[in-house]
Amino acid sequence: MRLRPIPAVKPRSLEEALRYLEEGGRPLAGGTDLLVAIRKGQEKPELLVYVGELPELRILREGPEGLEIGAALTHAELLVHPATERFPILRAVLRTIGSPAIRAMGTLGGNLVTASPAGDSLVALSLLEARVRLVGPRGERELPIPEFLVGPRKTALERGELVRSVFLPYPEGHPRSFFRKVGRRRALIIAVASLGALVWVRDGRVERARLALGSVAPTVLRPRDVEEALVGRPLAPEAWEDLVPVLSAATQPISDLRATAEYRRKVAGRLLLALAEALQAGP
Amino acid sequence: MAKVLVREAARTQVVGQGVPRLDAEAKVKGQARYADDLSFPGMLYGKAIRSERPHARIRRLDLSRVLAHPKVACVVTAKDIPGRNCVPIIYEDMPLLAEEIVRYVGEPIALLAAETREDAEEAARLASIEYEDLPAVFDPLEALRPGAPQVAVPTAAERGNLFNHMVIRKGDVARGFAEADVIVEGEYRVGYQEHAYLETQGVIAVPEENGIAVYGTLQCPFYVQRAVAAVLGLPLSRVRVVQTATGGGFGGKEDVPSQVAAMAAVLAWRSGRPVKVVYDREEDILTTSKRHPAIVRYKTGAKRDGTLTAVEVEFYYNAGAYQTLSSAVLWRGLVHAAGPYRIPHVKVDGYSVATNTVPCGAFRGFGSPQVIFAHEAQMDELARRLGMDPLELRQKNALREGDETATAQVLTESVGLLSCIERAKELSRWEERKQKVAEFNARERFRKRGLGVSTVMYGVGMGAKAPLLDKAGAYVKLEADGSITVAVGNTEMGQGAMTVLAQIAAEALEVPLSVIQMAPVDTSRVPDSGPTVASRTTTVQGLAVLDAARKLKAKINRAVQEILGCPAFVVEGRSFCDPKDPRRRVTLEEVARWMWVHNWDMGATGWAEAAPVDWDPKTGLGNAYFVYAFACHIAEVEVDILTGEAHVRGFWAVHDSGRIVNPKTAWGQVAGGIAQGIGYALLEELQAKEGRILYPTFTAYHIPTTLDMPEELVIDFVEAPYSGGPYGAKGLGEVPLMASHAAVANAISAATGGRLREYPALPERVLALLEGEK
Ligand SMILES: Cc1cc2nc3c(=O)[nH]c(=O)nc-3n(C[C@H](O)[C@H](O)[C@H](O)COP(=O)(O)OP(=O)(O)OC[C@H]3O[C@@H](n4cnc5c(N)ncnc54)[C@H](O)[C@@H]3O)c2cc1C
Repeated sequence: MRLRPIPAVKPRSLEEALRYLEEGGRPLAGGTDLLVAIRKGQEKPELLVYVGELPELRILREGPEGLEIGAALTHAELLVHPATERFPILRAVLRTIGSPAIRAMGTLGGNLVTASPAGDSLVALSLLEARVRLVGPRGERELPIPEFLVGPRKTALERGELVRSVFLPYPEGHPRSFFRKVGRRRALIIAVASLGALVWVRDGRVERARLALGSVAPTVLRPRDVEEALVGRPLAPEAWEDLVPVLSAATQPISDLRATAEYRRKVAGRLLLALAEALQAGP
Repeated sequence: MAKVLVREAARTQVVGQGVPRLDAEAKVKGQARYADDLSFPGMLYGKAIRSERPHARIRRLDLSRVLAHPKVACVVTAKDIPGRNCVPIIYEDMPLLAEEIVRYVGEPIALLAAETREDAEEAARLASIEYEDLPAVFDPLEALRPGAPQVAVPTAAERGNLFNHMVIRKGDVARGFAEADVIVEGEYRVGYQEHAYLETQGVIAVPEENGIAVYGTLQCPFYVQRAVAAVLGLPLSRVRVVQTATGGGFGGKEDVPSQVAAMAAVLAWRSGRPVKVVYDREEDILTTSKRHPAIVRYKTGAKRDGTLTAVEVEFYYNAGAYQTLSSAVLWRGLVHAAGPYRIPHVKVDGYSVATNTVPCGAFRGFGSPQVIFAHEAQMDELARRLGMDPLELRQKNALREGDETATAQVLTESVGLLSCIERAKELSRWEERKQKVAEFNARERFRKRGLGVSTVMYGVGMGAKAPLLDKAGAYVKLEADGSITVAVGNTEMGQGAMTVLAQIAAEALEVPLSVIQMAPVDTSRVPDSGPTVASRTTTVQGLAVLDAARKLKAKINRAVQEILGCPAFVVEGRSFCDPKDPRRRVTLEEVARWMWVHNWDMGATGWAEAAPVDWDPKTGLGNAYFVYAFACHIAEVEVDILTGEAHVRGFWAVHDSGRIVNPKTAWGQVAGGIAQGIGYALLEELQAKEGRILYPTFTAYHIPTTLDMPEELVIDFVEAPYSGGPYGAKGLGEVPLMASHAAVANAISAATGGRLREYPALPERVLALLEGEK
């Protein structure tokens, strides 16, 4: 089906953009989610407000505490910018999004606001305990990821608000990063299940771990019990086996055209062994 | 061992050279004009109003709101078709527009043309159709049961929903199995495979003073000409079909464009204006042909030393609601069912069955990949049971020159199968690789690797089922300035045909390739040249070009002799010179000018007819095809035992397609076929429920990306020349896909220790194999 033309505006400043949003406009960045939804008839915006080139949304600021990433930066831009080097987990995740064309158009802000259970960047943002900076008619506010993502395709974003940036605090020390996305092919694929991890290792054992699972729950999942149970364990799959069913049990997957809930649950748990194996193999 | 010329020293100048594709530059620069790029003054956009039910009687068809749409120029129902309401393919059971009964979801019921595409889509949704649902059937085995709903149009079926039943009876399988020491049996299933050509279906019908012209993305212009003439009730001479740049076909543009063009033509004829019909991806996936889903049962027997004694095969193809090409697809499956092996006792039963689903049709391999999956799995199971190396088992049974095929055809020449196997073994460093895989599997905990092999044969050309189509015409003309135009009736769809045909012309005319210009394919230029299918273009169309080029060459030679006044001369680039006095020379341009001034006929027609074939439908025995191509593929896959994900790491493919006219385009054909085979075996699944395709998008239907291709990809050719082909060439087009999926499937079985019996090997299925589901 073809698209009927939809009115669109390209505001020059954040203020102007917010005015359009108040009038009921819908933010448009790369369009890789929104245009697909419009074409399918799932979304029927009256006015599109192009925010992809707003200078305020395209900043990349390295501060003493962390990195602030403008919402309209594309995945491709973030992958090559030196400032993201300190966040290997972010790069590992962004590298798996779509294809070169999708990464060249799609933005971090778009991925976040779409809030798909399979949104890959959410795994990294959750592991990094990122904070989302919003701007709206009543000023600015900041929300941690778990408060921003309130459900599948639901965020705490209010009418008239924009995601301005995402703040990534530098992780302490030097955690090891891991990301594994399971799908039917090697690129251009929506995750069937994914596991990301930041693991602090000391003397061959887990000192601290953060885990985040994608596509196996209404939104990105942090299995705190497993994170805690990992502390002190050696880096060996056999020493983690007992946690596989625990991790599986923490998921709340659904069945859809890509996989059954049963498969997702099984694989999510087993990815823990892939993580152990990767840690064991060394950095 | 059969004697095969491996890389015979080229005695040709242009044939055998990997020249770049002639169409490459225009395509890379975005200058090639595809169907949707064309526009004509006053052009309307056509759209079909389609059935929403799999099987129903149309109670009432109310198009008043469609007609009332201000931008709708024309509406057509069955009774407005000026000619016959039929898309003639092999049978004539498929109406252009359903009249009383609809037989599949998506079947066209009415047509409209509107000012813009958006208007057409909007107006199509205004149709109101009242249906009385009829019992429907979607599974071929159920459709054959007594009392099943009648889907097939009775005149097109042998009985009930059985479109066709075809057999091979060779020897006595009971005796063959009695002689066997080992017997393996299995049932194998495959679903749809979607062509996923880059360019969707599209045509434009343009009324002309004396008839109608049709421009479009298509493989078989003469099929389209016939279909359009039928629905308009016009003589063929008043229908002209011109092929536009075509973004892929793979068989999907063999018969379907006849339907699309017939729709556009009826609308154009009724409205008196040009009408464009271009499908979007969803409409294309929902309503056009695909590879037949199949249920395939095999039983194979061998002696302890691996010698095959018998094979018994029964297979069912889900044809969909109308015959389209299914009888021909079934026949190719039948002839290929026993594989490229010497088997004394063969019994094959193939059934194509009508169901309330979208009609299936041609797809690269044309009914053979389904049975190849099974026969190659059987060979592997036999090898396992016999404790034999799978390559050795194939080597032992491979057809050689002088052998008889399953249809009792004696292979008299050009049988390069053993050379393919030997070369593939060598290139893959087979013994060493087996060792490495074993070591890897012993060492790794969460990953397993496996090697898989397949060998195939492919009957080139239409074969004995449709010999009347195996012909081609060509017209070659020398222009007054020394340039050369070549017109043919077969098409370029991305496979490189025009490049290869130009090479053949240049070779025969002894001119540089740059002198040759291939004319756009237009049915008014050359006689009916049959379809561009069955890997026959290089061989059959190539022969016609060769024929025409040789005739023109004779004229040029005579002219040179007259100009130079000497009986013999030598060719140097674009010049001809007297060997005794090399200063006495004349250029091609001068010769052309001279011929023109002297009123010579500067054109030549060429004709080719495939070598004779024969076939007895009662026994299934005969000379099924004029020659066969062969291949041996080896795949190495790695599976992740935690997730069931599979990846093809290495691939070694060796083909015998006779003389290779262009090694570069041939390489591309093979690499593309490997990709499509990886997709078929591992990725591609088109879910359907009660005759409805559930997710007609590329978000859900996964074709391989470049990252799904093997890291190590080795392609080579052994050349067993065929005396009946131009410069010894046989066909190549379909063969790579036929062989590749089966090698991948066998590698999956080897890696998992299970037996893959159903495509695709999605992660869930691979996990099940790993966990012991046999
Ligand atoms: C072929 C294909 C493959 C894909 N593969 C993946 C994949 O592998 N992994 C993955 O996670 N995603 C994937 N996606 C989804 C998509 O590309 C990403 O989610 C992308 O990051 C969306 O960004 P965008 O800029 O295109 O968003 P848009 O489509 O422009 O917007 C998405 C949503 O966010 C809103 N929005 C955008 N910017 C702002 C803002 N600054 N403030 C408030 N609201 C905003 C829009 O109103 C809309 O609701 C894929 C999409 C396609 C089409």
